[in-house]
Amino acid sequence: MSNDSLDPRVNRLKLGEAGEVVKVEEGENWNIYEVFHQEKRGAHHEHVGCVHAPDPQLALVFAKEQFARRKKCVNLWVVKSADILAFDVEDEDMFANNLEKTYRDASGFKVMEKINKFKQSK
Amino acid sequence: MINQAAIKDLIIKMADDELIQGHRNSEWTGLGPVMEEDIAFSSMAQDKIGHAWALYRILHEDLGGEDPDRFAFLRPEKEYRSAHLVEMPNGTYDFSLMRHFLFDQAETIRYESMQESSFESLRLLSKKVKGELKYHTLHANAWVMQLSKAGEESYGRMQQALNDTIALAAGLFEASPEHEAALIEDKVYPGEAELYRRWLDRIYPVLVKASLNLPAITAIKPVYGGRQGIHTIHLQPLLKEMSEVFNLDAEAGW
Amino acid sequence: MYGGGYIFDEPNKKQLREEQQHDEPEKLAAFEERIAKGEKIEPGDWMPVEYRRQLIRLIEQHAHSEIIGALPEGTWITRAPGFKRKLALIAKVQDEIGHGQLLYNAAETLGKSREAMINDLLSGKSKYSNVFNYPAETWADVAVIGFLIDAAAIVNQVANAKGSYGPYCRALERICYEESFHLKQGHDAFIELATGTPAQKAMLQDALNRWWQPIMHFFGPPDKASSHSEKLMQWKVKMASNDDMRNQFLDSYVPKIWELGMTLPDPALKKNAETGKWEYTDPDWEEFFRVINGGGPCNAERLQVRKWAEEQGRWVRKALMKPTEKRALPVA
Repeated sequence: MSNDSLDPRVNRLKLGEAGEVVKVEEGENWNIYEVFHQEKRGAHHEHVGCVHAPDPQLALVFAKEQFARRKKCVNLWVVKSADILAFDVEDEDMFANNLEKTYRDASGFKVMEKINKFKQSK
Repeated sequence: MINQAAIKDLIIKMADDELIQGHRNSEWTGLGPVMEEDIAFSSMAQDKIGHAWALYRILHEDLGGEDPDRFAFLRPEKEYRSAHLVEMPNGTYDFSLMRHFLFDQAETIRYESMQESSFESLRLLSKKVKGELKYHTLHANAWVMQLSKAGEESYGRMQQALNDTIALAAGLFEASPEHEAALIEDKVYPGEAELYRRWLDRIYPVLVKASLNLPAITAIKPVYGGRQGIHTIHLQPLLKEMSEVFNLDAEAGW
Repeated sequence: MYGGGYIFDEPNKKQLREEQQHDEPEKLAAFEERIAKGEKIEPGDWMPVEYRRQLIRLIEQHAHSEIIGALPEGTWITRAPGFKRKLALIAKVQDEIGHGQLLYNAAETLGKSREAMINDLLSGKSKYSNVFNYPAETWADVAVIGFLIDAAAIVNQVANAKGSYGPYCRALERICYEESFHLKQGHDAFIELATGTPAQKAMLQDALNRWWQPIMHFFGPPDKASSHSEKLMQWKVKMASNDDMRNQFLDSYVPKIWELGMTLPDPALKKNAETGKWEYTDPDWEEFFRVINGGGPCNAERLQVRKWAEEQGRWVRKALMKPTEKRALPVA
């Protein structure tokens, strides 16, 4: 059957009538899984995007080609988006004072200054 | 000294299968059932065409064959050695998936058997494609299992697809009578009968787990002919398409 | 692959007034300040209703353009001459689907499901880039598309990648990286024909002549004709004006066409040495709107093929649906 297309591939298909109504049902593209990519052994897995899949097994199969077909990759994780717990973006202020708490940082302790002062005092 | 005519015959069969199967699978690129699967299936089509290219290069570089592009795309139909399975049009996705499952399991068995081949180029290639084929069979097994366990309609489709493809797939193991003994004796590979046995052993447990019924082995009548240059009506139109641009000017660079 | 020539929504006045009542002034000020500082907006952030709507529309059109854009070139996969061209073409068309996947995900973070977007594409409610409503008649068309349409898309996407919405920018970063391969393989095929036999050159020239107007249409109507860009530019939804992008494209690529001895079917096309801007004959903008509204040579076929694909895949998708499972939108 010919569809009168310039595309031989299309001419092999049995296309429907123009104007035919085709609707996809909500949920037909399955659930959403977040994908984490490990570039080399020893590195963290990093979030790179998500895939739609019916279960974790196929999510992993899909993630492999969508997120690791080009660049270096040694491993992938997938996890259902619905299972991710995150802070609300409005809670950003909880992290606001982190930088002021210098007692958590090496830079908060001036050891050399004290040693030099001690040496000079001798 | 390995029998050169026999090894050429073997490599042409393998390469033509991969070339045609790769083309068939590539027709799904952009039209798959869901974008994620479209991408995965396209990668595997590329891998197949890539394997074919590697095999034609072996013919060209080690065995005095023609330029890989000319050999792959500009032969008359009679000189192709592809099996009927790979020539069949894509049909619906169940057919394409089942063919992919049966073909890739066969391909895997074949390359595995060549990891110790006396013919170095095949030995090297079989090691190189190992990881790719692992993914292909992982993908194929996952789909066959899932769709066979996903309700009546889906199960029915998968069983029908298996019924429609099994004899065609068995035809992948059609031996070339004049060369087979030499290839086995020269330890190029263990021979088609042995590969067929290993393949059945490999697909059987997956099909059982998927609750699909494999016909009795003796009832499977392999569809032969492709290896002798006798093809289905579907091959010639595809070959015409594949060579269309080249044939505008076969001497030009494209 | 492709963006450009977006048709932004023109909300009516009443709708806009109602929306603005929901847009609390302090939150709006904080939102605009964040954008002005160059920070990104993320999915859970407060955002004006109008920002969300325009972004969904923009990203959705971009995503549709990718999956429809896979069709004219997909045509040539079986016919592509030789292993190298063939594998590159399949990989490229595959990338378009991959880009569609990334973009639909980015749009989903704004609250519209992939299914709803696909339905709007199939019903014709939602648009995609006009260029894909033209046929790829010969192998030279593949070279022209791969080189010049992808080049135009890069101009557009590099600009959009500096926009304000985090998920869209992240998707575009990956997309731009892959586009550079598309452009290179397209350029390579283009050069092969341009430096080939007389018949090959003629084939390429013919393709260039046919594609030039759709390429000029690609970035959308001239700035003087589009009225509602200001807010979208301030919100970093629209990153550059249509004319600026068109000019940037001409500046980078016309010389690359001319240096190969090919011509373009516009005698007025030249760079004004004083202004540094390109001058050209205005393409037929009526044709642009006619094609957007379904009147192009391939609109009907493209949608019919997409519908075929959705119908073919339906049983596969339905078989594995789990309607009771807990679902959520992509997180980022």
